[in-house]
Amino acid sequence: MENRLGKSIILVCFICSLIFAYLPCGFCQTAPVIGLHENTPQVVALTNVHIVTSGSILKNATLVVRDSHIEAIGTDVKIPPDAIVYDCTGKTIYPGLIDLYSHYGIPEKSPESTETGSIHWNDAVRPDRKASALLKVDEKAQQKMRKNGITAVLTFPRKGILRGEGALVLLCDSGPNFAVLKESAAQSIALYESTRDYPQSLQGRIALIRQTILDTQWYDTAWERYNAAPDGREAPEVNLSLASLKPYVGKIKPVVIETAEVNDYARAKDIADEFNLDMWIIGSGDEYRRLDMVKNVQGRLVVPLMDNDPPDVSTDEVSLRQLRHWDFAPENPARLAQAGIDFSLTASKLKDSGDFLKALRTAVKRGLPEDVALKSLTVIPAEWLGMSKLLGSLEKGEFANFLLTDGDLFKDKTKILETWVAGRRYEITPVPEIDIRGTWSVQINPKYKIGAFDIEISGEADKPTAKIMKDEKSIKTLSLTIEKRMMMCAFQADSLGYDGVVRMSGLAEKEKMYGQGTWGDGSDFTWDAVVKTPWEAKSDTAAVESVDMANFPVVYPEGAFGRTSIPDQPEVFVIKNAVIWTCGPKGTIDNGDIIFKQGKIDKIGTKLKIPENAVVIDADGKHVTPGLIDAHSHLAITGGINEGTHSITSETRIRDVIDPDNINIYRQLAGGLTMACIIHGSANSIGGQNAVIKLRWGAPAIDIVVDYARPGLKLALGENVKRSNVPGPVTTRYPISRMGVKQFMFDSFQAAKDYKTEWQEYEKKKKKDKNLIPPRRDLRLEPLVEVLEGKRQIQCHSYRQDEILAMMRVGDQMGFTVEMFIHNLEGYKVADEMKKHGVMPTVFSDWWAYKFEVFDAIPYNGAILHDRGLLVSFNSDDLELARRMNLEAAKAVKYGGVPEEEALKFVTLNPAIQLGIENHTGSLEPGKDADFVIWSQSPLSTYTICEQTWIDGRKYFDREEDKELREKVRNERAALIQKILGQGDKKTAKKGETGEKDE
Amino acid sequence: MGEMFDRVVIIAAVFIVIMTISVYGSDQIPAPLQKQPIALTGGIIHTVNSGIIHSGVILFDKGKIVDIGTNSTIPADAVKLDINGLHVYPGLIETVSQLGLAEINSVRATVDYSETGEINPNVRAETAVNPDSERIPVTRSNGVSMAVSVPEGGLISGKAALMMLDGWTWEDMTLKAPVGMVIHWPNMRATDAYGKQKSLDEHRKQVKEQLDKIEQTFRDARAYKAARDADGQKDVPFHKADVRWEAMIPVLNGELPVWVWADRKQEIVSAVDWADREQLKMVLVGGADSPLVTDLLQRKNIPVIITPILRLPNRRDADYDEQFTVPKKLFDAGVTFCIAGGDGMGNDRNLPYHAAMSAAYGLPKDEALKAITLYAARIAGVDGRAGSLEVGKDATLIITDGDPLEITTTVHKLFIQGRDIDLNDRHKMLYHKYSEKYRQAEGN
Repeated sequence: MENRLGKSIILVCFICSLIFAYLPCGFCQTAPVIGLHENTPQVVALTNVHIVTSGSILKNATLVVRDSHIEAIGTDVKIPPDAIVYDCTGKTIYPGLIDLYSHYGIPEKSPESTETGSIHWNDAVRPDRKASALLKVDEKAQQKMRKNGITAVLTFPRKGILRGEGALVLLCDSGPNFAVLKESAAQSIALYESTRDYPQSLQGRIALIRQTILDTQWYDTAWERYNAAPDGREAPEVNLSLASLKPYVGKIKPVVIETAEVNDYARAKDIADEFNLDMWIIGSGDEYRRLDMVKNVQGRLVVPLMDNDPPDVSTDEVSLRQLRHWDFAPENPARLAQAGIDFSLTASKLKDSGDFLKALRTAVKRGLPEDVALKSLTVIPAEWLGMSKLLGSLEKGEFANFLLTDGDLFKDKTKILETWVAGRRYEITPVPEIDIRGTWSVQINPKYKIGAFDIEISGEADKPTAKIMKDEKSIKTLSLTIEKRMMMCAFQADSLGYDGVVRMSGLAEKEKMYGQGTWGDGSDFTWDAVVKTPWEAKSDTAAVESVDMANFPVVYPEGAFGRTSIPDQPEVFVIKNAVIWTCGPKGTIDNGDIIFKQGKIDKIGTKLKIPENAVVIDADGKHVTPGLIDAHSHLAITGGINEGTHSITSETRIRDVIDPDNINIYRQLAGGLTMACIIHGSANSIGGQNAVIKLRWGAPAIDIVVDYARPGLKLALGENVKRSNVPGPVTTRYPISRMGVKQFMFDSFQAAKDYKTEWQEYEKKKKKDKNLIPPRRDLRLEPLVEVLEGKRQIQCHSYRQDEILAMMRVGDQMGFTVEMFIHNLEGYKVADEMKKHGVMPTVFSDWWAYKFEVFDAIPYNGAILHDRGLLVSFNSDDLELARRMNLEAAKAVKYGGVPEEEALKFVTLNPAIQLGIENHTGSLEPGKDADFVIWSQSPLSTYTICEQTWIDGRKYFDREEDKELREKVRNERAALIQKILGQGDKKTAKKGETGEKDE
Repeated sequence: MGEMFDRVVIIAAVFIVIMTISVYGSDQIPAPLQKQPIALTGGIIHTVNSGIIHSGVILFDKGKIVDIGTNSTIPADAVKLDINGLHVYPGLIETVSQLGLAEINSVRATVDYSETGEINPNVRAETAVNPDSERIPVTRSNGVSMAVSVPEGGLISGKAALMMLDGWTWEDMTLKAPVGMVIHWPNMRATDAYGKQKSLDEHRKQVKEQLDKIEQTFRDARAYKAARDADGQKDVPFHKADVRWEAMIPVLNGELPVWVWADRKQEIVSAVDWADREQLKMVLVGGADSPLVTDLLQRKNIPVIITPILRLPNRRDADYDEQFTVPKKLFDAGVTFCIAGGDGMGNDRNLPYHAAMSAAYGLPKDEALKAITLYAARIAGVDGRAGSLEVGKDATLIITDGDPLEITTTVHKLFIQGRDIDLNDRHKMLYHKYSEKYRQAEGN
C-alpha cells in the first residue's frame, strides 16, 4: 500500500515516455505540442527517511521533490499541500552518483570521416566534436548505470587523440535537449589511441598534442591581429578545430587526459605544466604503484574502479607484477585516500559498467572509508564541474537526483530500490506489496480431508523460498513467487496423498491468504491460510567476511626485483685494494683505493687515509671500472621506439616515453651499465629527440633522465629510411634513394633556416607593426634550428661511406657538424674525412651481414677509427648486448690491437664525451659521480662477473642482494598463486561455515 | 644487351681478381689435402678428453692425428712447426648455424635456408651450402672449424648437415649429412611475434592444428614406410614414390634423430612426450627452459643443444642470468648438452663467447670448452672423428695464443683434416685495403 504512490509515479513516467516517443526531440520546450498538452504535476514528499550526504546524516527526514528539483529537505519540513506523500520508513536516501568519465550515448562509430571542411589536417585531432551533438539516448546503458546509483555522467566523444568536448548528461529518459546539463564541460585527450597514419607512437601522440595546443594559441593571435588590420595581409587558415580548443588552452575549461598506467601521470603533468592547463586525469587503476607521482600532479583525478579477475596461474607465464596488481588493485582507492589525495571515481574502465557498485563495495571493504567513497562520487565531481549548487549534496534547489536504498549503500546486501534522476523515479528493485514471509497454516477445502499443513516462507521478501511441512516431513516447493499480492507455488503432492504436482495460487492480505489450487489430475480446489508464526528478521547471521588485504608492501618499480625504497647513499665510503681502471689520467691503479663522499668521488689513489666512520668495501682481487655507458640504446621506451610515419618527426621526444618499470633496466645494471643514450628508431630520415638516462632502478622517469647531457636529434640514412627492407610494394614516401635522403636532409635544414629567419624578421618588425601576425611555432623545425645553432647534437644512423660523406657535406653547407654517426660501419673507409668534419662515431664492435649495407662492415672499424684519431665508442642498440658492453670493448683489443685501457674507454669515457656528460661520469676522477662497477676479474675477460653496480654512490645492483631478491620473487609468487588458488576453496567453505561460526 | 651486361660483369670480375691478387695475394683458396706429416711441437695441447699436455707434440698425417705426447718420434719427412708457448685445441664446432645458406639476411636472393610450406623433410641443407660464402672464412678465422647448417621455417624444416668450413664444393665440405631432421615445435605461449597477447582460444586452436599436422605427417610417413617395407612381397601392388616420406624413413628407423626446437617448458614437455610416443631419437634445440625439466630430459635421455646463451631471460620474473646458467644447471643435473651460438646474422664466430658466458656463470671452464668441441661432436654424431685431440681422429685443430673462450685471444692457425687453412677473410682484406688508404695518406 505504501507503494501505491510510487506506482502512480511510474505511471506518470510511463506516460511521459509515451509522449516522448511521439516527440522526436523529447522535452524540447521549443517543439510544438502534438495532440494534448500534458501537465501532470509532480510533487512528491518522501517522509520518514534517513538521508545520508557527504558529511551529514538526517534521521527521520523529509525530502520534497517538485518537478525536477528538490523543493525542501530536512527533519522539519512542511509537506506542501499539493504533494503526494511517500512513506519511506526504514529506507535511506543518498545523493545520486556522478561519473566524470564515460562515453555514454556516443555511437561507436563517430562520423569524423564524413566531415571534410575547415577542420584539422589530422583525423585524430577533432576537439571541435561535441558529445552533446553526438548524443543518442541509450536506454539500456542508462538503466545499467542507474542500477548502480549513477545519475549523471560526463560523456565524451570516442576515438581520436584530441577527441572533443564532453557533456554533462542526466541519466533520465528525456531527450538530449533536456538531459544535457552542460554542453561543453571539458575537452578530452587520449594518450593511447591507435590512428591510421601519424602518429602511431606514444611519443608521436604527445608531440601532436603539444603542437596542437601551440597552434591553438597561434591561431587565436593570428586571427585577432588579422582582424584588426586585414588589408594587404595574408589571412591565416580557417580551422574550426583549433578555434574550438581555445577555451581549454586558456584554462577557462578543463582538459581531461586518459591514461593507461601510473607513469602517464608524469606525462600528463608535463603537458599541463607546459601549457598551464586545467588538467583532470582519468587514472589508470594502478596509482598505488607510485603514489608520490600521483600526488605531485596536483590535478584532479578521476580514478577508475577496475575489474579484478585473478590472472591465469595455470602456467608459469604470469608475472609477479601481474600477481601483485591483482592483490593491490582493489586497495587502490583506499591507498589514494590514505595518501590524502582527493579523487573522484569512474566506472569507465570496467568491462561491464554494471559491476560498478560491486567494485565500489570491494574498494570500501579494502579500506576506502565510506564517507570518502560517497564524497568522491557526489560533492567532489559536482564541485569540479562547478555544479555544487545543482548536484551532489541534496540541498534545496538541487536536482532531485538521489538513490533510495534499504540500508547502507556500501554493504553487499543493500539494495538500491529506486534511483531518482531530475525528479523522475526509476524503480530498480521492486518491493512486493506485501511481505508473506513467515509460517502459514494452510487448510485445503475440507472435502479433501487433508489436515492442515504448514508453509514456511523465508528468503528475500521479493524472492521468497518455501518449504511445506506436513506431518513433520518437509517438502521442498518446486517454486513460490509473489507478485504484487498474488502468490503462486507448486510442490509434489504425494505427501498429501495425491499424485503429481499440486499448483496453488491466491491473494495475500495482511494475515491471510486464500485462493485456488489444481491437483495433478486437473481437478480444482480452494484453500485458505493464516499466519501461524510471523516473520522475524533474523539478526544478520552472515559472518563478517574476513577481508584479505594485500600481502606485501609496494616496491619500486612494482613487481620482481623492485625495492621498497631506492638504495641508500652512504655519506662516506671507501673501496680498498682494487685494480682500478680509472679511464682517466691516472690510468690503471693496482691495489688502489677510492674514497666517495655524498655520491661523488672524493679521492683516488693508493694507500689513502681512510676517513673515520667510512663504510669500507675491501675489493681485494677485484677490478673496479667506471660505470659503463651505452651511446645507442632503445632501453625502457614505452609506446613505440619509432614514430616512423612521416619522414621527419623531430618533434618527438624520448624523454616523454621513458618506462622506468622496464625490467631490462635491472638486467643491464647487472652487466655494469649505468648510463644509456636512449634514442628514436631509424625508420625515417629525421627521427626524434633523445634522452640520456641513469639506470636508477626504481626511480620515476623524471629522476632517471639527466638534464645535463647534450641534447640530441636522431637522423638516419640508408636502407631503413628508404624502407628497402619493408615487405610489400615500394613505398612512395619520399625519399626512397640515397640521393633523395641527402636532398631530404638538405631541404629540412633549409626549412629550419628559413623558419629561423622568419622569426628574426618578425622580432624585428613587431614593434613597429602591432598587428603583425607571428610565425607559427613549429616543434618539428625547432630542434633543427637548435642543431644549426650548435645547441643540439646530431646522432646519425649510417652505414655506407657514400652516405656518411654526403651527410657531412650537408652539414658543411648548412654550417653544422654531424657530431655523432651511429653504427657508421663503413666509417673506417672515410675516417680522415670524418675526423676533419669533427665526427665522434659510435659503432657496433663486430656486427655485419644482416643486410646489404652492412656487408662491408668489419670488426676492425673501431680500431681504425681510433688509430686515425677519432673518439670512438661501442654501443649496443640491443637490450641483451647492453648487458656486456665490457666484452664489446675487448673486441677492440682483439680486432686491431687497441690497448686495453683505451678499449675500455670505448664504453666509458668516450661515450661520456660524445654525450656531453664527461664532467659528471665516464671516468673515475675526483669530483665525478660515484658511478662504478666492481668486477670479479678483468672487465675485458669473458669470465668476469659484474658483482656490484653503483650510481651516485648508491648500490643499485649487488649480486649478493640479487640472490635475496630472487628468493623474494619465488616466495611472493608462491604466496600469491596460493592466494588465488585458495580463493575458490575459501568461497565454498565460507558459505558452509557461516551459520555455525556465528552460533 | 645481355651480352654487353655479361661482358661488363666479366671485366669487373677480372678486374677485382687482378686487384685483389696484386694487393693481397690470396683470396682464401681452399687448402690442398695434407701431403706430408705435420708435427706441432712445444705447444700446450688441450686434448679436451684427456687433459692438457704441456710442451707436447701433436703429429698428424693424411688428415688424421697419429700421435700426441711429450716424447713422440717425429718422422723425418714431417713438417715441424715450433709453436712454443702457443696452445692447441680441437677446432670449435658450431651446431646451429645458417652458414652457406644465407649471405645477406635482408636480401632474399641470398637466403636459402627456408623452403615454402610447413612440411619439408626432404630438403637437405648441405646441397645449398655456398662454399664461397664470405661468412665462412670470417667464421673460421676465430677457430670455428665446422658448423651444422640448419634449415628453418615451417614445422618440419628439413635435414641439417655438418660442414667443414673449407672446401671447393659442398661435397668436399660435408663431414656428415644429415645429422638431424629439424622440427620447429609450435609456440605454445599465447603471444604473437611482438609479445602481444592473442586470444587464448584462438591460440590453442592454432597450436592444436600445428601439433595435429606434425602427428599426421608421421602417420603418413609410417604408412609409406610400411608400404615400402612390403614392396616386392607377393600380392603387394606397386607404390608410387613420395620424396617427403622417403626422406623420413631414417627418422622412423631411429637412425636419424629429430632436432626439435623448443624453448618453453610446455613446448619441451610436449615435444619430448611426442618423440617418446613416436619412439624417435630426439635432440632438443634451444632449451631456454630446459633446466625446469631436467628430470624428464634425463629420464628420456634427450641431449640438448643449448642455444643461444647470450640472450635475455624468458620471463620478467626470471633471474637476470637465467640463460647464462642453463648449461651449468644441465651439467649439475647430468643432462647431456652442448652449446651453440645459433646466430643467423653472421656472428657465428662468436660461438666461444657463448660458452665463456656459461663458464663465467658457473659451468666449469673445461666443460664450457667441451660444450663447443667434444659434446658438440657427440650430439652431431661425429665424436669418433672430431671434437677432441685423440690419435685416430681428424686433425681438425686450432693454434691460439691463449684460451679461445677469451675474446682477446687470437687464432693463429686452423687445420681441417690436416689441411692448412687460409685464415684470411673479407674483414681482414678490407682492413688491409683501407689501412693502405691511410698509409697513402701519411705519404708512406
